[in-house]
Amino acid sequence: MMQQLTTLIIPLLILLVITHGLIKRIAVYEEFVEGAKEGFTIAVNIIPYLVAMLFAIAIFRASGALDLILNALSPLANTIGFPVEVISMGIVRPLTGSGSVGVLADLINNYGEDSLIVKMAAVMFGSTETTLYVLAVYFGAIKIRRTEYALQAGLAADLAGFIAAISITYWYFS
Amino acid sequence: MLNKIWASLIILGISFAFAQDVHDEVYNTHSNGVHLQFKFIASNTSSQQLTLLIDGHKLNASLKQKQKIQIHLDESSPETLVKLASANSQKHSLIADIISKNNSSITLLMPEMHWQKLREVTQAAFDTAEFAVKLALGLIGIMALWLGLMQIIEKSGLINYLVKFIRPLLSWLFPNIPKDHPALASISMNMTANILGLGNAATPLGIKAMQQLQKLNPNKDSASDEMCMFLALNTSSVQLLPPVTLIAIMGTQVSELIIPIILATSCSTIVAVAVAKTFTARRRKTI
Repeated sequence: MMQQLTTLIIPLLILLVITHGLIKRIAVYEEFVEGAKEGFTIAVNIIPYLVAMLFAIAIFRASGALDLILNALSPLANTIGFPVEVISMGIVRPLTGSGSVGVLADLINNYGEDSLIVKMAAVMFGSTETTLYVLAVYFGAIKIRRTEYALQAGLAADLAGFIAAISITYWYFS
Repeated sequence: MLNKIWASLIILGISFAFAQDVHDEVYNTHSNGVHLQFKFIASNTSSQQLTLLIDGHKLNASLKQKQKIQIHLDESSPETLVKLASANSQKHSLIADIISKNNSSITLLMPEMHWQKLREVTQAAFDTAEFAVKLALGLIGIMALWLGLMQIIEKSGLINYLVKFIRPLLSWLFPNIPKDHPALASISMNMTANILGLGNAATPLGIKAMQQLQKLNPNKDSASDEMCMFLALNTSSVQLLPPVTLIAIMGTQVSELIIPIILATSCSTIVAVAVAKTFTARRRKTI
């Protein structure tokens, strides 16, 4: 049902927008082109911000430093009975979208779709965004270099989402 | 803070790779200079073509003059050999020295491998730089499409219905945006797209909102309070329908996760708004 809804929204929205525009006697084609013109400039503006962000994350990921951090954390996590694998999702999620897809696929491979760990990771994946990517794209598009406290707010939201995903999934499925 | 996180990702990454490589050099993890024995299936002794056997993998190889052998690699070849080849800037073959050879086996000295982790890190850096450009350019089309539609929505006044509906919420979140400013329209479109799980529509609409917030921003170089609040809302991903990628990975299983996702995302959004509001208040006080 949900998937069907998502499929239907976009064509219906486009239909509504164009028809409403015609009724209001708007030069729909000309206005569309006027708005679409900006697409290119925005994409080009984003490039330096995206390169800076993604390359730093790539170095961190390729070095295997993340695995080291997880290994260091696992004895601590085991003593309080906390699945350390979920932490990898918590760390990777704000950094990279494709990386967190990889972590989730990996967890499914190791634990199966029905396991609590996979459910926690999936809820975490679904409930937060790739903070650093969103930051680079949104501020890159308007050439903002000083991001003030946007990152703090975004990371605080990620942390809250991380804790909430674990506790809510635990409570919901047991 | 962004500067520090960014720098520490790079510094941590490179130093860790360096430390690992030093460890590998000291303990010779890559077995440099060790003689490797392969069994081979001799089809014809006079032939220059051989089939080697290692760890259950069959590898084709051809003899070269001066006691050298070229091993041909493909996707099914052992990972260590493929890595070794790429460390020697080869993709599909590996050239090794023949130490000795008899009827059933051959002993080889593989090329050496040094500073592998640092090489991988450098390669990853270059690859992503290229990928970032592709990613940004890939946005052009979808961005143009939504910005075009958005222009019609604004001109025809359709947006006013939506804005009227969520104005009370918006005027609490963004008290300093004038009542009829177009930024409110873009923000409400972006939030609607997010709530419906339409990720690829939300980004162009969010950028449009950022551009309009920039017009209100007195200092064009640094983010305004409204921008920080808006970014916080977007990174905490307000949504009622799960993102399309999650549906793709989890399949129908997603439906039982919808309620936990909505609850968790509400928590993160509340925290995002609270943190952004706190920072705004603190900033006001110092000014």
